[in-house]
Amino acid sequence: MNRIYSRFRNSLAIKVILSTVVLSLVVMGTAGSLLNSQLSRGIKEVNLNTALVEARSTIFTAEYRFLLAQGERDSVVQKVVDDVISSATTLTANENAREVVFIRSPGNTMDNNYEIASNLLDPNSIPTSLSERVRKKPDLVYQYTNMNYLTGTRVKGLAIGQKVQIPNAGQYEMYIIFSLANQGKTLDLISRSFFLTGFLLLFLVALITWLVVRQVVKPVREAAAIATEFTAGEFGKRLKVDSQDEIATLGIAFNDMAESIEKQIARLENLSRVQQRFVSDVSHELRTPLTTLRMASEVIHSSKDGFDPIVARSAELLVAQLDRFERLLEDLLEVSRFDAEVAVLEAVDFDIVQLVQRCADDLSLVAKERKTQIYIKSSAPVVMIKADIRRVERILRNLMANAIDHAEEMQIDVRIEASEHDVAVGVRDYGVGLDENALIRVFDRFWRADPSRARTRGGTGLGLSIALEDARLHNGELEAWGRPGRGAHFVVTLPRSTWERIDQRLIPLQPEDYKA
Amino acid sequence: MTLVMVVDDDQDLAEMLGIVLTGAGIDVDLVSRGDEVMDVFRNNPPDLVLLDVMLPGLDGIEVCKLIRAESMVPIVMLSAKGDTQDVVKGLEAGADDYMVKPFRHPSELIARIRTRLRRTNADVSGLLTIGDLAIDVQAHQVTRGGKQIALTRLEFDLLVALAKEPGRVFTRDALLSEVWGYRHSTDTRLVNVHVQRLRSKIEHDAEHPEIVVTVRGVGYKAGVMGGS
Repeated sequence: MNRIYSRFRNSLAIKVILSTVVLSLVVMGTAGSLLNSQLSRGIKEVNLNTALVEARSTIFTAEYRFLLAQGERDSVVQKVVDDVISSATTLTANENAREVVFIRSPGNTMDNNYEIASNLLDPNSIPTSLSERVRKKPDLVYQYTNMNYLTGTRVKGLAIGQKVQIPNAGQYEMYIIFSLANQGKTLDLISRSFFLTGFLLLFLVALITWLVVRQVVKPVREAAAIATEFTAGEFGKRLKVDSQDEIATLGIAFNDMAESIEKQIARLENLSRVQQRFVSDVSHELRTPLTTLRMASEVIHSSKDGFDPIVARSAELLVAQLDRFERLLEDLLEVSRFDAEVAVLEAVDFDIVQLVQRCADDLSLVAKERKTQIYIKSSAPVVMIKADIRRVERILRNLMANAIDHAEEMQIDVRIEASEHDVAVGVRDYGVGLDENALIRVFDRFWRADPSRARTRGGTGLGLSIALEDARLHNGELEAWGRPGRGAHFVVTLPRSTWERIDQRLIPLQPEDYKA
Repeated sequence: MTLVMVVDDDQDLAEMLGIVLTGAGIDVDLVSRGDEVMDVFRNNPPDLVLLDVMLPGLDGIEVCKLIRAESMVPIVMLSAKGDTQDVVKGLEAGADDYMVKPFRHPSELIARIRTRLRRTNADVSGLLTIGDLAIDVQAHQVTRGGKQIALTRLEFDLLVALAKEPGRVFTRDALLSEVWGYRHSTDTRLVNVHVQRLRSKIEHDAEHPEIVVTVRGVGYKAGVMGGS
């Protein structure tokens, strides 16, 4: 039921067809029944009039013949009566049957009895109400009745009666009963025809409506399909316009819109391609002079012992800043690769526990400087994964370096959890933490939690944003949790083999040690 | 004195490279165009070539192929592109090593050059056999059934490193430090490409290697061929 309802709601064609059919049904029903009753009344009237005329002439003939037989013998009179009856009667009880009933009027006490009913018709077929009226009135009287034969047959009929005087035999009543079987059949036929025609018309109306609606709905459906494909990114899709009606106007308008959108997109794509290209070119072009610079600075730096302290310090700063400049360049280049969507995975099999350990070892000196220490806890001694080791290492390094930067001399806990499909690494510090606003923006490029805070490690401000892109490139996820003054928790979850998806979070983002 | 040919179109960088190398006691021959390389190379064969990828005249990859066609001299590519395709292209063209500009430390460049110039495996003496190959470490020759197989110095070093401890599984990192002289590196492309190149020269069927065998998830080892 629900399905039918939803189909009705969702299909314009079904809606229109159903409404049309229902309305047509009402109109045709009204018109049909009106016409039907008009027709049947007419037919009945015509039949009645014919019957009355026939009855009048029959009865008149009968009276005339009775008059002629005046004074004849009893048997002759009987013969005349029989004659009259048989000439007024048809032979069988067929559909055009006309029966005659001849009854003595009450109060007629004459000896001779000429009562007769033709063709085994039960004289009781004459309703008493009719007989009473016949006795009161001198003229023809009629009533609709049933013709009951003694054989059991029963036919609808019209009884017309009148008083008849037979000389020497007193007063009789003569009834002529016309079978209405034919008329009934005609009326039945007419109403049956009405029904049939009605249903046929209804069916045709539905068919026509469907054809018409289809003409309108089909292009609309096509337009919808094209629009869907367009939305899905096939900007070259256009509607076919092969007429000049409103549908065609819709099509032309749609195509114009599509054209304009496609142009706009192409323009924007080109702009961003040019821009990305530019960033990439700039980064590349900067590398050669930077190489020269680095070597020159290194040569200067290596002989700084003989310099005056100010020059020696300048040489140190030069080397350090060139380092930083180079990291920034690397990160910018990486970001431009992500933006241009040309970053590729180079997956190899490796043990992520060992990689975490190595990253922590590499950063242990920096950690020591900041009076913090990294503790690693793994649920398994070896967790083999297939991933781009360079990117995974970069994610881990960025998370740990970030934790060291914000640890506030408290320890850093790194946790590794693995399931059959996924692996997760959580980096938890107990330092400055992050507020809600910071959590939203922590992966933004060049975003700083506190602008007044010195960037002591000389990070580029792109580390976390690149880490997030690296994680997503693996179909993984990198998420951040933090509370001001309660530290932060970064969890990276990766599928253990490339191109899989992660199906669960192995480490809850909100650290278990945290109680609000 | 060792002679290094520096091919780079950037005059300043080339000069700087010259200064750094000369400071390390290495003679330098500077070439700035790709199409001039072969003439200089034939007139004055260097001990090592430092080759930039982007060059006027003829690009570095092509130059690398030309040099490889006539010499097994160590080639270190210099590239401003860290992108995989370029690196792999360079290695496949026959380069032994590559360095992406800007170098982390100029001293790293010198260390790599020295590693490539050093007679590695000086501790190994005499003859080694691996599978059906005979390796004469001193003579720097690999033969199969008396027929010599030409290998670059790096390929030779890689093979010897594996062959001197047959059965030991070397991680890619271990090979990087043993053969290339890298302290810390996760760049396993270098190992992968060279193993492929080595296999194509020494294996009967490079698709089903029997001499340099992959140990999945770990690295490589010298295979012990059945029957030999």
